[in-house]
Amino acid sequence: MDTIISPIALYLICVLGALGIAAALPRRNKALEITGGLVFAAAIGLAVLVLGLNATESGQPLPNYFFYPFAILALGASARMITHPRPVYSALYFILTIIASCGMYLLLSAEFMAFALVIIYAGAILITYLFVIMLATQAPSSASEQFIDETDSVAREPVISCVIGFVLLAILTTAMFRGVSDLPTPSDPETQMALAQDSVLLNLPRKVDRILDRAGVLQDHERVARNEDGTAAIDIVNRTITIENTDLHTVRLLDSDQWPDKLAAGNLDRLGYNLMHDHPMTIEIAGIILLMAMLGAVVLARKHIELEEDLKAAQARKLGDSMSPTAGTGNA
Amino acid sequence: MDHLLHSTQLAQLAFPEAVPAVTMAHYLFVSAAMFVMGLVGFLTRKNMIVMFLCTELMFQGAGLALIAFGRHHLGADGQTFVIFVLCVAAAEAAMALALVVLLFRHKETLSAQAWKELNG
Amino acid sequence: MINTTFLTSTLAMLQDGHAVDTHAPAVTHAATQIAEVGTGPKWILLIIGLPFLTSILCGIYAMIGNKTKLPAWTVVAGSGIAFLTTLAMYMSFDGTPYTVHAFDWIQVHFSSEGGDKSMIANFSFYIDTLTIYWMLFVTGLATLIALYASEYMSHDLGTSYCRFFGAFGLFVFSMACLVMGDNLLMLYLGWEGVGLCSYLLIGYFYKKPEAVAAAKKAFIVNRIGDLGLALGVYLTFVHFGSLEYAVLFNDPTLLGYIESAKTGDFSAIPRMAQWIPLLFMVGAFGKSAQFPLYVWLPDAMEGPTPVSALIHAATMVTAGVYLIARTYPMFLTSEYALPIVAWVGTITALLSATIAMAQFDIKRIMAYSTVSQLGYMFAGLGVLTPTGGVYHVLTHAFFKALLFLCCGAVMHGFAGQLDLRKLSGLRSVKGWGIVTLGMFIGCINLAGVPFTAGFFSKDTIIAEAFVTPGASMIGWILLFTAGLTAYYTFRVFFRVFTGPVEYHAGEEHHGDDGHDFHPHAPGWAVNSVLLTLTVCSIAASGLYFVGGNKDTHTKHYAQTMVMASTANYESPYSKHAIHAAHDSHDPNAGAGPRGTIDHELSMPIIGGDPHKVMYYVSAVFGVVGILLAALLQGPKGWQGLFIGGRTNAAECRMDPIARMCGPIPKMAENKWYVDEIYHMILVTPLRIISHIFHWIDKLLVDGLVNIFGFLPRLLAWILKPSQSGVLQGYAVSMAGGVTILLLVVFVIILQGGVA
Repeated sequence: MDTIISPIALYLICVLGALGIAAALPRRNKALEITGGLVFAAAIGLAVLVLGLNATESGQPLPNYFFYPFAILALGASARMITHPRPVYSALYFILTIIASCGMYLLLSAEFMAFALVIIYAGAILITYLFVIMLATQAPSSASEQFIDETDSVAREPVISCVIGFVLLAILTTAMFRGVSDLPTPSDPETQMALAQDSVLLNLPRKVDRILDRAGVLQDHERVARNEDGTAAIDIVNRTITIENTDLHTVRLLDSDQWPDKLAAGNLDRLGYNLMHDHPMTIEIAGIILLMAMLGAVVLARKHIELEEDLKAAQARKLGDSMSPTAGTGNA
Repeated sequence: MDHLLHSTQLAQLAFPEAVPAVTMAHYLFVSAAMFVMGLVGFLTRKNMIVMFLCTELMFQGAGLALIAFGRHHLGADGQTFVIFVLCVAAAEAAMALALVVLLFRHKETLSAQAWKELNG
Repeated sequence: MINTTFLTSTLAMLQDGHAVDTHAPAVTHAATQIAEVGTGPKWILLIIGLPFLTSILCGIYAMIGNKTKLPAWTVVAGSGIAFLTTLAMYMSFDGTPYTVHAFDWIQVHFSSEGGDKSMIANFSFYIDTLTIYWMLFVTGLATLIALYASEYMSHDLGTSYCRFFGAFGLFVFSMACLVMGDNLLMLYLGWEGVGLCSYLLIGYFYKKPEAVAAAKKAFIVNRIGDLGLALGVYLTFVHFGSLEYAVLFNDPTLLGYIESAKTGDFSAIPRMAQWIPLLFMVGAFGKSAQFPLYVWLPDAMEGPTPVSALIHAATMVTAGVYLIARTYPMFLTSEYALPIVAWVGTITALLSATIAMAQFDIKRIMAYSTVSQLGYMFAGLGVLTPTGGVYHVLTHAFFKALLFLCCGAVMHGFAGQLDLRKLSGLRSVKGWGIVTLGMFIGCINLAGVPFTAGFFSKDTIIAEAFVTPGASMIGWILLFTAGLTAYYTFRVFFRVFTGPVEYHAGEEHHGDDGHDFHPHAPGWAVNSVLLTLTVCSIAASGLYFVGGNKDTHTKHYAQTMVMASTANYESPYSKHAIHAAHDSHDPNAGAGPRGTIDHELSMPIIGGDPHKVMYYVSAVFGVVGILLAALLQGPKGWQGLFIGGRTNAAECRMDPIARMCGPIPKMAENKWYVDEIYHMILVTPLRIISHIFHWIDKLLVDGLVNIFGFLPRLLAWILKPSQSGVLQGYAVSMAGGVTILLLVVFVIILQGGVA
């Protein structure tokens, strides 16, 4: 059933989505826009249905039902974002999209990125957008309060764009559904995940020292033993820790029941370690890109003020006057 | 620090399902749909600010796919890439908004249609 | 009209002669001589190098703005040393041909079906008696005429002077390459070189439209001949695999062909080999101004007179004769080549003689007489007497150069006046004695007065024509033409140099009016050259009596030279062959084919051997021609003989007779309308065709081109809206492109069976 329904349902979703978006894009026909929105909502519903059925069919446990509200929210908000005639609302709907995708990030155990996204995107970037929107749009006069500029109220070439976009979507999703089954799946995902999570501890012996110390496991002059390559001597699978005494040069083994609860690597540990250990050069490049963007923005947006020669002279005189205390009386 | 760590563990507890339960393809579909939505928006909307917003939406689609792949491979690379995507998005936003301001000063409109000097 | 039987029968007799003449190797197997080809001394290269050097020097003089006669002296010195070198070469020549290698020029090695082949055409020179014979008069006359030109061209001092002598030097160089080259490609190089120089020198007065037209005409008409020569050279290489004389004339294939030609069996010779001489013949006709292609030579008289004398009378135009003499063995292999040569020569001789009779421009008369005499040479070659043809080349070179230079002196002295109706009695004008003498000697040579060089050489040709079976018609025509020649030659002499003194300035005179005109007599350079040539012309008749060789049974100088070269094939009826047979004391000499010659096969004249009778008969024709000229054109002054002759320059007794002849004199004066006919049958159709092609080009070709130019514009016009300048339009294209690409890739993957 999966092989027959999925593609057909998928293409049906794409067609529906295209129809919906094409109709819902801003135009001077409110009814059509609403119809389009409804059609698109139907498309999203169908998509969720198909995805749910797909998850059931595939023999996996019932999918995390939190995924569906977030997916619906993300797609609905993004659809509203591109169809709303007013840029400010677009920006706000985009924030909603981000928050929805942050939910999905959480489902994908990327907690740090989820919150970072909210802070950076919703907090910083979108606020900048809002500033610019406010700055660059003339306030509508009272006479044309309801009037929205043609730039925003009429979309250009909605049909062809939607055809292109949703054909692309159909191709991409077909490829994904075919390709995902070829991906290697971890045999025991939970163990694997835990092992993957904690394996970063091997590379952080001093953090392990600190946690063990706080947990009261270590005595004086004791620390986690180091392997020859400097990693901590921890057996993650058996959950044993080798502890050495730097003073007496003795070694003792900590059993798994003595493994402190706090000794676990979080998402942040792994992300930070990965970032600093595996991609140091990329960070540098990212820094340079940001610096250049900042300089570029300054250069581009700077306002060129052309002053006449005598105006410049006046400006300079004014500056000179304000510097010297006696100048004011001379003028008077 | 402890609290933060605790909260992440709470998050893990709150959503105890392993990801494969909702297969990769689900997330990828959503990400692709977001990307396409951004594309359609970019192609259809005339307001330059909205166009740039749509590019941000496309970034989001890509970011979601990266995170999903990262989760699938149980690595942190996907999240690292999202950080870089964020960097690029921020840089793009800065430049784009500066450009928008500049262009708006010239034509007093935000419409991309106003710039047709390159027509043949 | 062309009787080809005489060649076959004559060559068949050659075969018989071969059977008899085992003791007379010169007649048959002389080709074996060439087998030993030695290497000559390098100083011979001076003959080539010096003229080339003088040419370059003249160019340098022109660049540095020389305004003296230095170029003339350079060329005179260069040609003079070249002449002395040739003389030294002649003196040191021991009878064995040799080659002199200058440098490797073309050496192409390639492999074909028959194994590895190579085309070798070195910058080398082949020296044998024919080469020496030709080079002697080429360099000698070049020296003399350069000296003459130093004075003649003196009104043009400066760049033009340098240009003239530069081309002059280049001509001598090219002619030397043509004559001395040891392969056909060198000959071709020289051939084109002299053609170029001819073009440059005819068009020397390039501001005169007539001169430019004449130069173009000469060049274009020569192209036809050159094409024939080029194809002939090509075919020679294809067929015989070599272009070098030393190899070519010893080629067993070629010798085999000649043997089978002697038996009259031409079917044994491949058609391809038979085409070679025919193509060479076309080349020779072009360069030597024979019947269909002669029209350029009279017009070439637009060039300065020394050029006319050297190039268009003495040397270049004899290149065709040289070509045929040099490749004479190959001409024997074709059934038709030599008969065509003979008949074309004869027709040319007659036709141009009739034209010359009616012309009034003395230089033009000389030009037509040149064409006519060249016809004699070709006829001589065609009736299997290269000796006669080559001897006539030498004598003609001297007396025709002399005649031209005399005409040039007249032209120079009378401001370009060449009309014999406006000149009279020049012998009585002070300072023109040497010119008159030179003219007289030249005229008696040309007219064939007994005991002159022209008499002997022309006589040889006519006599051989009579003895050759089937060619007696040629003999009669040539004899008749000899009479005409005598008439028109002395017509010039009597009208211009005798009679009452009367002259009118030519169009180059820019004085106040005609009464103030004073002709200026030639200076020392012209006079000395004329004197030298006069002496040479007289002395050339002496060559008929000296220079015989007992070993090869030759009787006179030219024969000795020809018989020792590649052209040593001769009719068995020839005087030389008979002498050789007699000298060899062959017991069969009086019997067999030889014994029957005089009585059966050949055409006896007044019951005697043509060789002997011809001396008298042709003398009678010549003298009758001269007497007629004296009667009809002569002056009144010769009382007692011709009472009531010409009393002024313009009128003569001929005029009423000509009026009675109806349109014929007019037609002859208009050159039988050959130029007009050519214009009608060649130029006009070509022009019509070119107009047609012009329109085809304009409509079809240009139309196609325009369509191809229009299509992109149409395409651009269709696609232009996509270049809207709107950012999102481009973005749509890009996204659409990506989508289509992905779709295609995806479909391909699905088709490829990826599950």
